[in-house]
Amino acid sequence: MSPPTDSDDDSNASPPREPPPVSPVLLPPVHVLRLPTRWSDQVKHSSLSVTADGRDLSYNGSACTGERDAAAARTSHPIPPACGIYYYEIEILSKGQKGHISVGLFAGRDVKLNRLPGCEMNSWGYHSDSGCSFAAEKNGTPYGPTYVGDIIGCGIDFTSHKAFFTKNGTLLGNAFEGIGKDIELYPSVGLQHNGELIRVNFGHEPFKFDIDYHVQQQRNSTWRKILSTPLDVTLLLDGPQKHNNEDRDDSKGKHTPQSSISEAQTRSMMNKLVLSYLIHHGYAKTAQALQRQEMLLKMKLPQPSKPVTKSGDQDMDMDANGSTEETSLSTAIERRTRIVNAVVAGDIDLAISETEKYHPIVFETEAGLMLFKLRCRKFVELVLEASELKKRLRTSQSKPSVDDDVMEMSMDVDDDITIARHSDNAMGTNGFVSSTTYSTWPEKGKESATTLVEQALSRAIAYGQVLANDYKADTRSEVRQLFKRTFAIVAWDDPREAGGLVAEVVSLEARINLANELNQTILRSQGHPTRPALETLCRHTATCVTQLGLLGVGAAAFADMSRELFSET
Amino acid sequence: MPPKHVIRKDEWERRLHDVQITKNELNRLIMDYLVIEGYKSAAEEFSQEANLTPPVDFESIESRMDIREALQRGDVEEAITRVNDLNPEILDTNPALYFHLQQQKLIEYIRQGRIAEAIQFAQDELAPRGEENPEFLTELERTMALLAFESSPSAPPAILELLSPAQRMKTAGEVNAAILESLSQGKEVKLVGLLKLLSWGETLLEEKAEFPKLMVRDGTLVDRGGS
Repeated sequence: MSPPTDSDDDSNASPPREPPPVSPVLLPPVHVLRLPTRWSDQVKHSSLSVTADGRDLSYNGSACTGERDAAAARTSHPIPPACGIYYYEIEILSKGQKGHISVGLFAGRDVKLNRLPGCEMNSWGYHSDSGCSFAAEKNGTPYGPTYVGDIIGCGIDFTSHKAFFTKNGTLLGNAFEGIGKDIELYPSVGLQHNGELIRVNFGHEPFKFDIDYHVQQQRNSTWRKILSTPLDVTLLLDGPQKHNNEDRDDSKGKHTPQSSISEAQTRSMMNKLVLSYLIHHGYAKTAQALQRQEMLLKMKLPQPSKPVTKSGDQDMDMDANGSTEETSLSTAIERRTRIVNAVVAGDIDLAISETEKYHPIVFETEAGLMLFKLRCRKFVELVLEASELKKRLRTSQSKPSVDDDVMEMSMDVDDDITIARHSDNAMGTNGFVSSTTYSTWPEKGKESATTLVEQALSRAIAYGQVLANDYKADTRSEVRQLFKRTFAIVAWDDPREAGGLVAEVVSLEARINLANELNQTILRSQGHPTRPALETLCRHTATCVTQLGLLGVGAAAFADMSRELFSET
Repeated sequence: MPPKHVIRKDEWERRLHDVQITKNELNRLIMDYLVIEGYKSAAEEFSQEANLTPPVDFESIESRMDIREALQRGDVEEAITRVNDLNPEILDTNPALYFHLQQQKLIEYIRQGRIAEAIQFAQDELAPRGEENPEFLTELERTMALLAFESSPSAPPAILELLSPAQRMKTAGEVNAAILESLSQGKEVKLVGLLKLLSWGETLLEEKAEFPKLMVRDGTLVDRGGS
């Protein structure tokens, strides 16, 4: 892709330390956010020399002959618009004979290098001798003070496509508009006389100008703009109906001018999102309280004198079904939560029997794959129980102290895992053999203890054999592999201490993942999405914003979802 | 115009999957909604069930909700008294809010057919303020037009709108926001911010790319391009 004159390899030759991003950045892909870090060795006038670190630029040739002749350079990489605002500063270290300098920007790869920035097509510059700004023109526009031995900053705001300059840390205001829209911009500088020397700061060190504050202002104003956009009615509509439902089009025209959503509609939509989230994660009491309060609120409201929009009516109907629906809903949540928590607690038998009773479809889908997985886990639990007994036996022989690594493991449960974690007692005992129960052996002696261990082990093996027999006809590779992997754990004295896959199979995390999977399978069997709509909404929105950044929309950098919506304060 | 970037559904789903969002963050979004929208008992339950520290004390939610309910059943006088009980500065420092409450009171008079009182009230309380502020005057004119049409269905929708529950909700929302602000809490529900960000993002991205759209109601993705 690169023409031979501009290999862009110069930065690879002596990679400078990547400076910190100029403005906070939330987009991960590195190539998009490759920032300018040095003057290009290739794309510069022959009278200019660049130091090895790419920061210092000096003029050492014969002085330019014509008044308008100059020597310019640009960076090896363009500015990624996704950074939102880009800013750099140059310091004039030596003014040489005259100190005629221009600081600014080049657009595109092929700007002529024998003029000062601003005097050529696709270039913009702030000139030291006149203080004028030049936007690809012969005669500049009075803009700011002249400068000699100062620090001059140049910024480009991709949300507004305006460029500004600073002098010794003071903002001079906007100089250019409408730049950098569909073309790459490079920081650039032009010198004219022997002995002129500048050093650039692309974020290598703190700036003279308080760019953070400036960015903050921009960020706030972008967010205010987003918040002031009215919600579009299309958000409420379901895909195909959008175009062919005449009733809806009709009502839209009548009742929702400018097709923005009314407050009542927004409320109803948000309520649904929140409610389905609560149901998904099994926050049954909260869901119930929310529904009850919402219904009370509706009853207190006088009935509207005329029908609202169609979608509004549907909401009313749904909620008006009264308390029978509410209770059946909450028992459904409670049942599912009980099952999921049983798996988390290691009580696989309870989970299996309850699922069979209330959600038989779950075990029918995919030819009983879910049941198989649960039974495999049951086997794991039995083996763990046996190995735990054995371990306790050994510990009690050597030292009588209580080893509490089991308890530590239970503390490791991560809250982020998509499992309702409100049954604290279940998490506490945790299904793993409680450390206190077997930590000290009764005085009866170790024979009976040894027998206990053997019994536990043979129970596990027996269960495994039944399992093997039950599924011997199932040739699905997923089933075969899971079985092999599961059964193999008996080969280890303490599978939890083993590394790699074995430890993974028996880990508490695997159990939680299984609980999560069961939760989703039950939800799917009831026609619910496997991810709460609210979560999809967050993910989808974040993806849209990221994609906007990738496509060069500067404002995306300031539509900072996690900062605006998820920050702790 | 450069050609539109096309992102297929499976690719989009993969990116969705890669977004870093924790359950804790989502839970806080829910808590914010319950508190600001005033679902006191739900917020209490949620702080238990999700093990979250509530951002405010639950009593402040209750008094906000009493005020909102008063407005929603049309008892403007009660609402004003309660707001002043809570903090007299709220109305003193917010003339627009006070005007909108008085306007709502006028609307309630008209709704109840207490025409003489309505006119008296408009003359005493609203007209002097309308002279001060052009926005107030426009609103006053719009409200007085209700009398002219006597709530007949042939009245322009922009005027009939004033009698709808949405108008009460609008006033109630304004009061709610002012109280939250006086408690230096966030006044905008973060979930609303999220929906607006979605609107903004999808609209901008539509100009540059084809990508699956979100059906907010059920959280499904739809390829609108058809391919």
